[in-house]
Amino acid sequence: MSLTRRVVFGRNPRRTAVRVLVLASLSFVMFRWVLIPIRAEGISMLPTYQSGSLNLVNRLAYLNDKPSRGDIVAIKLAGPHVLYVKRIIALPGERISLAAGQVYVNGAPLAEPYVRNRSPWDKPEVTLTSREYFVIGDNRGMSAKDHDFGRVDVSRIVGRVLF
Amino acid sequence: MSRQTFVRAGVVSALVLLGVFAFWQTREGADERVIRQRLETLRTEVNDSTVDGLGTAARAAQIGTYFTEDAVVDLGGGAVPIRGRETLIGMVARLQPRTAAFRLELDDVGIEVVPGGTAADVLLTASFVRRIISTGEESRDAREFALVLVKADGVWRISRITAIDTLR
Repeated sequence: MSLTRRVVFGRNPRRTAVRVLVLASLSFVMFRWVLIPIRAEGISMLPTYQSGSLNLVNRLAYLNDKPSRGDIVAIKLAGPHVLYVKRIIALPGERISLAAGQVYVNGAPLAEPYVRNRSPWDKPEVTLTSREYFVIGDNRGMSAKDHDFGRVDVSRIVGRVLF
Repeated sequence: MSRQTFVRAGVVSALVLLGVFAFWQTREGADERVIRQRLETLRTEVNDSTVDGLGTAARAAQIGTYFTEDAVVDLGGGAVPIRGRETLIGMVARLQPRTAAFRLELDDVGIEVVPGGTAADVLLTASFVRRIISTGEESRDAREFALVLVKADGVWRISRITAIDTLR
């Protein structure tokens, strides 16, 4: 066996083929049902995520646990290929409002060390249902009308952003 | 059966099952394929905009053929729904110079043809991608839409588009 063939196919080509197949199948399963690779587009999660940065979404993160405040989650629209990436700031049953850029949960101001600049966003108080979370991006310096945020049903949360 | 053969048979069976499952997940009927193709052509028409030399009015009229006479487009957010193909064509013609700066992408197109095969419900994510000239970066505005298509004279046309508020 020539050196090139040996480097490409290994000492035992059949075993190499099986290894390649197993590896390809594992990758297929892993990146389809367990970890979703994502690329951030846009500025709504600045400074935490720059536009163009790569990341992974762990679909199994909430198999046993419920989403927590501060978690950065991926939210599906019609399917898993275009996702919103937002931070959870209020949990089911809580009251949430924004006044002059400050978030209030159950009437108390929420400490958000990840927010750098705040524009004076306002949102009247809403009470979340038992299936709703309130999500928002970290970039509060931008205009509120250009920033998608609000209540989301738990069924739309695909998983937690890994890094 | 030796242990090695048993493991090998297990691996092969798992691979076959995975292949069958993947095929089953992606299979679709003839109508679904036609609808998918039709939406893809509409997307191309919108993106081609005026760059192919076809006049704005002609392009708008061409896009209008994808809609029924009584089509309704409800973009939500408190905006008044657009009613009727003629109104839609007029709006497309007026908006076209501005939409030429955008690129439309359709993702996660889920199609469900209702029994009888004369109507279909479609759920998709539409993204308007805009390139920021100063930075070269692309900005994406994605929204979820529910479409109703009806089949008349063998042609699938959009009779309703409703924007869905993912975040409320």
